[in-house]
Amino acid sequence: MTHRDRTQSHHRGSRTGARRAGRSRLRCCLAPLMRHVLLGMVAIAFLVPFYWMAISALKDNSQIFARPLQWWPHPIRWDNILRALHYPSFPFLRFLWNSVFYAGGVSIGTVLSCAAVGYGFARLHFPGRDLLFAITVSTMLIPGIVIFIPTFVLFKHLGLLGTYAPLICPAFLGNAFFIFLLRQFFLGLPQELSDAARVDGAGEFRIFWQIMLPLVRPALLVTALLSFIWTWHEFFGPLIYLSERSQYPLSLGLFAFRAQHTTEWSLLMAASTLATLPLVVLFFCTQRSFLEGITLTGIKG
Amino acid sequence: MAATRAPQARRGGARRRTARAGLLFVLPWLLSLLLFTTYPVLTTLYLSFTDYNIIQPPRWVGWQNYRTMFTADPAFWTSVENSAYYALLAVPLGLAGALGLALLLHTRVQGMGIYRTLIALPVLVPPVASTIVFIAMFDPDNGLINALLQTVGLPIVGWLTDPTWAKPALILLSLWGLGASALIFLAGLQEIPRSLLDAAAIDGAGVWQRFRHVTLPLLTPVILFNLVMGVISSFHIFTQALVVGGTTGKPLESTLMFMVHIYRTAFRYFAMGQAAALAVVLFLAVLVVTLVIFRSANIWVYYEGSRGSNR
Amino acid sequence: MSLKNQSGCWHTLDRRAFLRWLGWGGGTACLAACGTASTPASKGQKVIVNFWTPGGGGDFCLGLDAIARDFEQHYPNIAIAETQCGTGDQEFNEVLLARIAAGNPPDAAVLWTSPAALAARGALLPLDALMQQARYAQAENWPPAVLASCRFAGKTYGLPVTAGSCGLWYNRDMFEHKGIPAGRDDFPRSWDELRRLSQEFTVWKGDTLEVAGFIPWHAVEDLAIWSALNGSQLYDAVQRKYTIDAEPNVAMMEYAVDWLNQEYKGDFARVTRSGNWEGYEVEGRQPAFIDQRQAMFLTYSWNMGLPIFAQSASTWNMARLPVGPGGTKSVAGYWPNWLALPKGSRHVEQAFAWLDYMSGVGVQTWFRNVPDLPANLKVPRDLLPTALVDGKGKAFAQDIMQFFRDQLDSVTPMWDSPVQDFATDQLRRALEQIMHKVATPRNALAEAQKACQGALDKVLIAAGP
Repeated sequence: MTHRDRTQSHHRGSRTGARRAGRSRLRCCLAPLMRHVLLGMVAIAFLVPFYWMAISALKDNSQIFARPLQWWPHPIRWDNILRALHYPSFPFLRFLWNSVFYAGGVSIGTVLSCAAVGYGFARLHFPGRDLLFAITVSTMLIPGIVIFIPTFVLFKHLGLLGTYAPLICPAFLGNAFFIFLLRQFFLGLPQELSDAARVDGAGEFRIFWQIMLPLVRPALLVTALLSFIWTWHEFFGPLIYLSERSQYPLSLGLFAFRAQHTTEWSLLMAASTLATLPLVVLFFCTQRSFLEGITLTGIKG
Repeated sequence: MAATRAPQARRGGARRRTARAGLLFVLPWLLSLLLFTTYPVLTTLYLSFTDYNIIQPPRWVGWQNYRTMFTADPAFWTSVENSAYYALLAVPLGLAGALGLALLLHTRVQGMGIYRTLIALPVLVPPVASTIVFIAMFDPDNGLINALLQTVGLPIVGWLTDPTWAKPALILLSLWGLGASALIFLAGLQEIPRSLLDAAAIDGAGVWQRFRHVTLPLLTPVILFNLVMGVISSFHIFTQALVVGGTTGKPLESTLMFMVHIYRTAFRYFAMGQAAALAVVLFLAVLVVTLVIFRSANIWVYYEGSRGSNR
Repeated sequence: MSLKNQSGCWHTLDRRAFLRWLGWGGGTACLAACGTASTPASKGQKVIVNFWTPGGGGDFCLGLDAIARDFEQHYPNIAIAETQCGTGDQEFNEVLLARIAAGNPPDAAVLWTSPAALAARGALLPLDALMQQARYAQAENWPPAVLASCRFAGKTYGLPVTAGSCGLWYNRDMFEHKGIPAGRDDFPRSWDELRRLSQEFTVWKGDTLEVAGFIPWHAVEDLAIWSALNGSQLYDAVQRKYTIDAEPNVAMMEYAVDWLNQEYKGDFARVTRSGNWEGYEVEGRQPAFIDQRQAMFLTYSWNMGLPIFAQSASTWNMARLPVGPGGTKSVAGYWPNWLALPKGSRHVEQAFAWLDYMSGVGVQTWFRNVPDLPANLKVPRDLLPTALVDGKGKAFAQDIMQFFRDQLDSVTPMWDSPVQDFATDQLRRALEQIMHKVATPRNALAEAQKACQGALDKVLIAAGP
C-alpha cells in the first residue's frame, strides 16, 4: 500500500473504510500469488536448460534431437544412468572425490586469503594501497590464455607438474575477483565500529576476526560458493597440470563421452546431470544462510 | 565516538600500526603478484615485440606486430566491433537483469530456496553439456526459442545460422548465467540493515522510494563491482563464442570475439608474438574503460565505511 | 560499546593463532596437493614412453591402452604409460605447445593438426632415418599423396596412420522412387550431370528447403578436392605457392554460385536455416538425410562405421566424385590422423617403435573402436566396420570398404601447407562470403590468396632454406 492510501483511509468514513479493508484483504492475498507467478515464470525460464539436460539423460540418443521436441522421454531409459557410471575411462566416484578435493581446497583457500586481503584494501591505510588495488583489478584484464605458458614453465621448474599443487596452492594467496568483491563489502561497513574497537584497545587482527568478518558473512558465503562452483567446472588447469586419468576431476572426466566423430549424448547428459547434482545440493543448503540479515545494534546514538 | 584530539605521537603511531597491519593483511596477495603475475606479464609484454611461435626462440621485430594488427589484419577490426557490440548490450542487460533477479529473490515468499536454486541452475551445469543444450535451444528449425516465437506468432529467426542474430543469441546465452551476479547482489541486499528500511517505512516512504533512497545507494558498491566485472568478462568472452562460432566466428565472422582472435592467433596460427600484442591492446582498452568507470564512481558510489571520502 | 558485546559465536583468536591455522591449513592442502603426484609405475629396467592423443572418448582410449599391452608383449623393454586423452578440441595444441616450451612433451603423440605446419616451426622430430629401419612405417608403405601431408623441406615428420577417404553418398531409395538408375556406375560423372540430377530432387515449401538434391561445395575441408576435380589446386606444395585465386578456382566458385541461384533461390542463409545438410551431426543438429530429405552429399569413410549410416533405414551407396569442366579424372580427398614425435621426446627410438607398431598392427584395433581407415599398405584389407556389417550385411560392407580403399589410391594432396590452419580459416571466411553473396568469388578468393601467401612467405622465411 502506498503512503497516500494509508493516510487517505484515515480520513474516510467507516463505511468506505470497511470496503477498503475488504479490498485490501483481497490485494493482500493477491500479492503473494502474483509474486509466485512472477517467480515461477522466471524460474521456468532458467530451469529449461537443466531440465532439457536431465531428460536427455533418460532418452535414447536418437530421441534427443528428434523433432518435434520431446518434452518427456518415451521410453524412460533409467539404465543410461548406470551405463554412464560404468562407462570406460569414467570412474565416477573417483572423479567426484577429486572434484570435491580440488574445489574444496580452492574454495577454502580463496575465502581465507581474499577476506584478509580485501579487508586490508578496504579498512587499513598503507602507503601505495590504492595503486596496489588498481594493479589488482588490472590483473583481471590480462587474458589467461596468453600468460598461462610462462606460469606453466614456472611450475615445471618447481617440479610440481602432475600434482594438484599448481591448481590449489595459488588459491591460498588470493584471487583478484574475490579480493575486489570482499573489499567492496568491507567498505560498506561503518567506520565507527572499528574506531570504537580501536579505542577499546583491540588489535587490528582482532577487529578483523571478531567484528568485521562476521558482518560480511553473506559475501563470504558467496565467495566460498562461487569459487567452489567455478572450480568444479574448471577443466583447463587440470588438463595441463595433471598427468594421470585417475587424478582427473569430473569436469575433465566428462570428456570421455566425446569421441572424435561422435558423442554419446545421452550418457554425456546423464554424467553431466550427476556432476551437477552435488552443486545443486550444496547451493540449496547454503543459500538459506543468505536469509539472515545483519542487524547493527548499538551504533547510532 | 573516537577521541578527536589524540596527541600527535599517538596518531602517528596508530597510523604506522595500521599501515603495518595492512601490509601484513595483503601480504599473501603480494606474493601471488610477484610469483604468478609479474613474470608472465612482463614476458607477454616482451613477446609482443617479437615473432614467437612457442617452439623456437623469439625474434625481435619491434613494432611490427602492432603495425600489422592495425593495418594488415581485417579480422582485428571485425573482432573489435563484435566485442564492442556484445559488451554494449550484454553489460547493461546483465546488470539490470541481475539486480532485478536479486530483488525478486529477496522478498519473503514460501519456498524461496527452491526458486533461488532454480534460477542459479544454469551456473551449476557443466559447460560441456550446457553449451550444447543452449545451442540446441537456438536451433532454427528444431529449437525451443523458435518454437516459442512461433506460438506467439512472431517469425522464426536464424539465430546461430544468421549473421544478424548470432550475437543477440550469444547475449541471450549470457543472460542465463545471471545467477552468479544476482547472488552477489543478493548478498549486498542482505547487508542492508532492516532497521534503516523500517525507519524509512515509518517515515512514510513507499516501496519505490525506499528502494531509491535507501537500498540503491547502499547497493552502489556492489553495483560498481558487478559493472566492472561485467565489462571485463564481456570483453573476455571466450568459451561460448568459440563453441558457437568456431575459430572463424561463423556465420560470416559475426561471432568472432577478440579473445577468440587472440586464441587462434596463438594456438592455431602459432603466432604467439602477435597474440601477445593483441593481448596488450585488449588490456589497455579494458583498462581505460575500467578507469573511466572507477573515476565516475566518485560521483555515484556511496561507501558507508568512509563517510565523506570515497574509494 | 565494548568488544565483549560483539564476540557472538566467534571464539577469541589472536593473530598468531590465526596465522598458525592458515599456515597449517594451507600447508596441509598444498602438501596433500603435491602428494597427489602420480606414482610412476615401477617398470624396472624398462623405458617408459608417454603417449598422448587429442581426444577420442572412453572406448577409444581404453582401446589404445589395450594396444599398448600387446605392444609390450613384443617389446619387453618398453612400457607405454597410460594414454593421455585430451578433450578432443583445440586445447590439445595449447597443451602440447606448452609442454614443448617447458621441455617435457609427450614422447609420442597423435596429431590432429597437420605435421607439415608443426614441422615448419621445429616442433617435431624428423623420422626419415627411423623409417628406413621400420617394419611397417617405411616410406614406400604409405600412399605418396597421403605421406605428402607429413613432409616439409624434404623431410618426413609424421606418419599418416589413418586416412579416411571420401566419396559421394547417395540415397538409392530416393533414386529408385524417381525411376533414376541407382547403380554406382550410373552415377553422374560430371558436374553438369550432377547438377541436372540434383534438380530432380530439390523441393521448396515456401521459404523452407524441404528436400535437397546436392548442395554445391561450401565446406572448407572439401574445397581442395573440388578444386582438384576441376583440374586445379589450392596449394602447390612443390612450388610452395598458393593458387587460391587461379582461374579454374574462380570458375569453380562461380559455378557454385550459379547453381545456388538456380536451384536454391540464391539464398544460402535460407538453406542453412532449413536444415543440417552435412553428412554428420552438427552441434546436436541431426543431418537431414536421416529423414530422407537429402539425396546426395560428400562424406568420409569413417562414417560408414557409425550407426547413423550403418543402421539407417534407407538404402544407399557410394559413388566416385564427378569431374568439373576443367578436370579430367575423378579424384578423392582424405582426412588423416597423424603420429609424430614432438621435439624434446626423451626416448626417440622406443617411441618410434611404438609408432611403427601402431601403424601396422595397432591400427587394426583402433579401427574396431573408431572406423578410421588405416593408410599403411601393409595392413590387411579385410577390415570391416562392425556396425556396417550388422546393419547392411557383410557383402555390402566389403564392397563399401573396397570402394574407400580404392579411393585412397587417387587422392589429391591436402593438409600439406605450413600454414594449414590459417589457410583453412581464410578459406572458410572466403567461402562464407561467397555463399552469402557478401563478396564475389573473384574478390573473396583473391583476398584469401593474398592473406595465405603472405602468411606462408613469413613462415618460410623464418624457417630458413
